[in-house]
Amino acid sequence: MKRASPRHPSALIASVPVFLFLVVPTAIVVPVAFNRSRYITFPPDQLSTEAISGFFGDPAWMSALLASLQASGIAVVVAVLLGGSAAVALHGRTFPGRAVVTGVIIAPMIVPAVVMALAFYQFFISVGMVGTVLPIGLAHAVISVPYAFLTVRAGLAGLNPALVRSASSLGAGAFSVMRFVYLPVIRPGLVAGALFAFSVSIDETVIALFLQSPSATTLPVKMFTDIQYNLTPKIAVSSAMLVTVATLGLLVQVCFTIRRRSIARLLPLTAAADQTG
Amino acid sequence: MKSPTPTPTTTPSTPAAAAGDERRGSIELRRVRKTYGNLAAVDDLDLTVRPGEFVTLLGPSGSGKTTTMMMVAGFEELTSGTVLIDGKPVDRLPPKDRNLGVVFQSYALFPHMSAAQNVEFPLRMRGVRAGERRKRAEEALARVGLAGLGDRRPRQMSGGQQQRVALARALVFNPAALLLDEPMAALDKRLREQMQDEVKTLQRALGISVLFVTHDQDEAMSMSDRIVVMRDGRIVQEGAPEDVYAHPRTDWVANFLGDTNLLPCKVLERKDGVAVVDLGSWGVGRVRDLGARGDTYAVSIRPEHLRFVDAERTENRATGRVLSSTSLGATIRHRLRVGEKDIVMRELSAGTRAGRGPDDEVSVGWTQDEAQLLVLEP
Amino acid sequence: MTSTATPVAATPVTAAVGADPPRGRPRRPRSAWLLLLAPVLVFDAVLFLTPIGRLVTQSTHDQAYQRVLKDPLVVRSMLNTFEISALSTLATVVIGYLLAVVIWRRGPLMRVILFALVLLPFWTGVLVKNFAWAVLLQDNGLVNSALQGLGITDGPLALLHNRFAVIVGMVHYLLPYAVFPIFAALAAIDDRLELAARSLGAGEASVFRRIILPLTVPGVSAAGLLVFIISTGFFITPVVLGGPGDMMIANEIDFYARQLTDFAGASALALLLTLVVSVLVAAYQRILRAGGEYEAG
Repeated sequence: MKRASPRHPSALIASVPVFLFLVVPTAIVVPVAFNRSRYITFPPDQLSTEAISGFFGDPAWMSALLASLQASGIAVVVAVLLGGSAAVALHGRTFPGRAVVTGVIIAPMIVPAVVMALAFYQFFISVGMVGTVLPIGLAHAVISVPYAFLTVRAGLAGLNPALVRSASSLGAGAFSVMRFVYLPVIRPGLVAGALFAFSVSIDETVIALFLQSPSATTLPVKMFTDIQYNLTPKIAVSSAMLVTVATLGLLVQVCFTIRRRSIARLLPLTAAADQTG
Repeated sequence: MKSPTPTPTTTPSTPAAAAGDERRGSIELRRVRKTYGNLAAVDDLDLTVRPGEFVTLLGPSGSGKTTTMMMVAGFEELTSGTVLIDGKPVDRLPPKDRNLGVVFQSYALFPHMSAAQNVEFPLRMRGVRAGERRKRAEEALARVGLAGLGDRRPRQMSGGQQQRVALARALVFNPAALLLDEPMAALDKRLREQMQDEVKTLQRALGISVLFVTHDQDEAMSMSDRIVVMRDGRIVQEGAPEDVYAHPRTDWVANFLGDTNLLPCKVLERKDGVAVVDLGSWGVGRVRDLGARGDTYAVSIRPEHLRFVDAERTENRATGRVLSSTSLGATIRHRLRVGEKDIVMRELSAGTRAGRGPDDEVSVGWTQDEAQLLVLEP
Repeated sequence: MTSTATPVAATPVTAAVGADPPRGRPRRPRSAWLLLLAPVLVFDAVLFLTPIGRLVTQSTHDQAYQRVLKDPLVVRSMLNTFEISALSTLATVVIGYLLAVVIWRRGPLMRVILFALVLLPFWTGVLVKNFAWAVLLQDNGLVNSALQGLGITDGPLALLHNRFAVIVGMVHYLLPYAVFPIFAALAAIDDRLELAARSLGAGEASVFRRIILPLTVPGVSAAGLLVFIISTGFFITPVVLGGPGDMMIANEIDFYARQLTDFAGASALALLLTLVVSVLVAAYQRILRAGGEYEAG
């Protein structure tokens, strides 16, 4: 039933500045990248693509971009494989210690980033893994696994475990069960999990800062270091790039939301996202 | 009310006169329209609930009955037309100033308040002092048989109790009228029937006017002074329950209100409320005629209005075969084939003649007043 | 181990791990799920539990807890953390409530659009957001130019590198985390409660104060706690937008680890932070579980 509900025009008007507050900082980043002068201003005085070509011609920034992509590559692959298979393994199963197992899988998401960073820092030094992107990628994988686990688990929520059992009782082998029963169901969850893992890794700064070395400095770490000295156009270009990635992530999420016709179902997941401020 | 109730202070039949205003408690809708885009949810509706009257809007979902009620309550704006309460137009009044007690389908009790706080809520909104508020809430709860349960939260109460709280809350501020939106839909059958009786008794005792919305024809039949049957945003028939039931104007109404046998016919003659019709293989019969005009006609005979008759009878009689007989406890349902038409008849078990089996040849008849000529809707 | 698996499997208990299945007859090993679960457990044992375990061991060395708690800089950063987090949480919850109500009152299409506006900063990394705020809040930034252009101020206000900037940056970061739980609480309210309240004589203000607000208290508490939990771990924002006096506990951990190379002290601080966060998370989950109390249906 449709009903006449007060539309609170006053609240809507009051919320306009708040929406501006939310959106403007993200929105100015892209135009700022086209700044001509050496110092950053908004709105830009003159537009040019100088900074952009400067960014892509700068070996330091390029190696940072490469390091970031490598680290998130590792994180995405590991998180999706491990998180996805864990979700399938636990689907519809009860056993003593199940809560503990789930707790361990999800915990890295809750521990503050700086604590994880310190723990990884000491650990990787002690095992002699320093100076490469690998430890950063693995560390990002640790904090990304929960996202893949939760997205896949959310996808499995609608799948009746009895169906899986009946498939195997009909003679389907483990491989066939995986291929024909699970995979179609978990595919959207895997995609979402990969997206989350990528987003977490590409933006993660604190852990990458602790694990950095001259040969393994990620994009956010490079930005963090530079930003403390000056607001340079190259930081702006890097930011603009990350905003573009973020917008793509957002679009995918909106599409998912519309397809499922439910905003609420994405809420718990969203509310648990990365906490590296 | 089954539980002991205090005698109401108002005299049942004349509450309006006591108030010194004969339209006190009346609800009038004049040429009310509600459209969404091109779609008319309610179309040119005229309806009056007289003081103390229990009027039911009956119709399937989408017939506009709930929209109509929402417009009376003030939750929906009218596209055109006027609503009057107590004889005064209320189109500019927000719901809070219309002074109507509304009971919603799921009761809409405030979950964070106790039953007593729920009942006190409208008094609080009217600035009634705390002591007086408590007293009146207690009285209202007692009136619906919930004395002493005021401290319970809604979730600690059964469906029936929640409904009584909702009723107490809607009545405690002496509203001009009561609007009930399918209030029994969530209850099981037995409880529903009990609540129907209680609500009806309470309404009579208080002499309050009620606009009741339901899609349940039994509920409408058992509670209403008047039934207004709605379809596609329009009133298709209104009248006393037994009247609408016995004399449907169209086949749609006949089918919506209970079971019926529809026999297509040709009208041979219409005069003084009686039509002579040709029923084909059923022969020629006399039936009641309300004067409805249309392209095609049929005769509606309720299953319980058919009875077995002697083969010698000459008028309003047809001969057929028994297909099956099913005992339903108090009644027996026979399926018969008469001519090329399958019909259903129902008779009381007590009056049944034994030994009627499948394939027996029987004669069935009806009285002129219990068969209704109606228009077949295209 | 295998006894916990499906009761349906037709083959008798030949399913000992490693036993060869009968040839040509497909059979689902009952332990297959353990093979799926094992990798993540091994992975987390090595790369999560071990590092955290080392952290715990480290923190017990050199009387680290007593030492760090006596350090005035640590005490200062703890106070900073509490104050900044509390202020940010307050602002975030109030603004977040407003946003959630506005979104809640819209139709489905507008809801998606407004949610997208809330989610855009959510998907954006913290450095990008900090960079944007630095650009906006600097002396010749948009905010100062606007203030001067409107004649509100004569010269540029010092908006950057202070606590104000930190809180602005944090609120901007945290808003989505407040909007979602509050929106969820609002969306769970049965529409008819509001209709009922209005039919019973309540105006807009009364409906909000007596119905909507009390029913969203669990959601608001959850949002506040979640936001506070996230606030306590902030690291980047105080460095980029704050001044020297705005360092928070995470910065102090970094200082102990990478400047002082006092790993015992850093670990002790890290575990103290983890402890506080764990307690808050437990409280948060309690609220979430109790929050279903008023839900519709």
